[in-house]
Amino acid sequence: MEKTGERARREGIESGVEGFNERARRALADPELHDSIALFTRKTLKGRAARLAELPDAPGLRERAYHIKQETMANLDRYLAQMADAVEERGGNVFFAETGEDVVRYVGELARKKGAKVITKSKSMATEEIELNRRLEEEYGELELEVVETDLGEWIAQLAGDAPSHIVAPIMHMNRRQIARVLSRVAGEPLPPDVRALAGFARRRLREKFLAADIGISGANFGVAETGTICLVTNEGNGRMVTSIPPVHVVVMGIEKLVPRFEDLEVFVQLLARNGTGQKLTVYTSFITGPRGADELDGPEEFHLILMDNGRSKLLGTEFEEALYCIRCGSCLNVCPVYRQTGGHAYGSTYSGPIGAVITPLLKGDREAKDLPHASSLCAACWETCPVGIPLHDLLLKLRSRQVEEGLAGKAQEIAFKGFEEAVEHPAAYRAGARLGRLVQRPLVRDGSVRRLPPPLSGWTDFRDLPPLAERSFRELWREGID
Amino acid sequence: MRREEFLENIRHRTRYGRYKPTKAPDASWTPGRRAAAREIGDPAARFLEELEALGGHGRRVGGLEEARDYVVGLARSSGARLLVRWDVEELERLGADGPLREAGVEVAVWRELEDFREVAGRADIGLSTAEWAIAETGSLVLESGPGKGRAVAILPPTYVAVVPVERLVRTVSEAIRMYAKRNSLPQNLCFHTGPSRSGDIEQSLATGVHGPGEVHVLLVD
Repeated sequence: MEKTGERARREGIESGVEGFNERARRALADPELHDSIALFTRKTLKGRAARLAELPDAPGLRERAYHIKQETMANLDRYLAQMADAVEERGGNVFFAETGEDVVRYVGELARKKGAKVITKSKSMATEEIELNRRLEEEYGELELEVVETDLGEWIAQLAGDAPSHIVAPIMHMNRRQIARVLSRVAGEPLPPDVRALAGFARRRLREKFLAADIGISGANFGVAETGTICLVTNEGNGRMVTSIPPVHVVVMGIEKLVPRFEDLEVFVQLLARNGTGQKLTVYTSFITGPRGADELDGPEEFHLILMDNGRSKLLGTEFEEALYCIRCGSCLNVCPVYRQTGGHAYGSTYSGPIGAVITPLLKGDREAKDLPHASSLCAACWETCPVGIPLHDLLLKLRSRQVEEGLAGKAQEIAFKGFEEAVEHPAAYRAGARLGRLVQRPLVRDGSVRRLPPPLSGWTDFRDLPPLAERSFRELWREGID
Repeated sequence: MRREEFLENIRHRTRYGRYKPTKAPDASWTPGRRAAAREIGDPAARFLEELEALGGHGRRVGGLEEARDYVVGLARSSGARLLVRWDVEELERLGADGPLREAGVEVAVWRELEDFREVAGRADIGLSTAEWAIAETGSLVLESGPGKGRAVAILPPTYVAVVPVERLVRTVSEAIRMYAKRNSLPQNLCFHTGPSRSGDIEQSLATGVHGPGEVHVLLVD
């Protein structure tokens, strides 16, 4: 388990995301992983269906969400400026970060200025994406910062040296025995693989950190331009702790998380809870506007909002813009036939599943995440389940075609498509090719499909079966007359 | 400067980009059936039902005396030593401080506390009222402000809210729209829905992981 963590980190985040097939093969051979994924996805999807059916007009909400996001992206510069002004007006600080490096430097310098020792964090994919914890500890080693994840799953992942394997459920890949082993090491005594005991241990340990923290860092599920409000949803209460107890609260928010008006949250808060976790509302749905008031006894004295681009703006005005509508509910992972077999670590990137296969190459570059657009059956279940209607399957196809244009697709694929192009333009050649194919395939067909082809065609059959050519073509049947 | 450059880049891309998404999502989204949508008949009954379903404890009480007895009884039976409460008018009227102290429970009021972290962190029970309660979801709507400590509802393992029944609203949408109309939002607004929970370990429910594992709401007539 520790080893997978190391691997996920090295291959996935720092360097290119190669080797999906190899990691997927390993995941497929792991029955414990398979059980964990099945348990989570089935339960969540069932809850999702029930919660959505209760709404008087769920499709209407989805439609509104899509159009609100469309309007937001078309005017993103204006809304960002409005958000920044509103936060400053409420006494908060705003920082525009072009890259992850900018975020690390801002937080590091702030920690230095405050003489901070302990930083508590609420679960945030944006900070996972830029590996904030590791980089703070490495690049600001002299500060000896202790950066603690406080979401139960995220904390266990941090202790295990594992990357999260699901946007919403970070340690969905682990069972209670594995978790007990990780926590026992920290406790210095054996803990039973019992959920209450493990959660109780986490509560006691993290309580000390919450009370000692000098800075709290959170992400943002949504940011409201009109009011400068950050909306944060959590179930455990760690989000409330991190944003209320320490004297300084830092928010790291991707620029795409914006919505124009407070009333828009009516749409998104409900879609996120119902679609993501099958809840009507998460336990703590917090709306935070600036630092504490002059007459308040608690709440942070300082509020810092970091608006992070890190490659997102490249998508604006392009055919991939809709990928920015994502609200990170994780639903497309739960329905994806590839994700359900391999889990999140096979993708080797911070974001897994269909949305991960789309945004990873867009944020990191096609060359760095070459495998991911192919980690899909294009069944479009992702699009169907997406609460904001992102055409994920379409975007995957567009990414594949961009790879061909950039010459990133393999030589074999290029030859195959060239050959196909020639054949369809010359009917005689096509017929001859088909006849030849039928002859050649005979020794290769097993149980009604072609399981193995010689190289370079083995590139296809290594991971898929190929349906054989029919004994008689449609054209032949047509000529003879079909009854 | 930095801000200007940052925004200029985005302005440029949104204005001069070639692609304008035109496709609306497929209207026939799978969960289109409305059969399961439930009307909210009696908001108070629905609130209590939803809260119980989440593992919280709700009760509708006839008046403040009954609410006070409930709070004192709870503190007694749970062996609480310290209760921390909001410094607001309604809780003064509740008049629980005296009987609690008589019962041997220390009461800390959210006013001029020397170290709020220490007090709230040590308290066994947190007591507050709520701005609103949402029937559809069994949620409390909590605002921060003078006398209304955020930590009261998060740090103690047991949390009790006393809410006048006329503060019930029906839906989440209604609550959000109410705040959308305001000129100024409180620094902290929270829709608090039942006990703290986590499903991170094998999707098995663990309550009280960080926030209170026990939540009691008294709807007062």
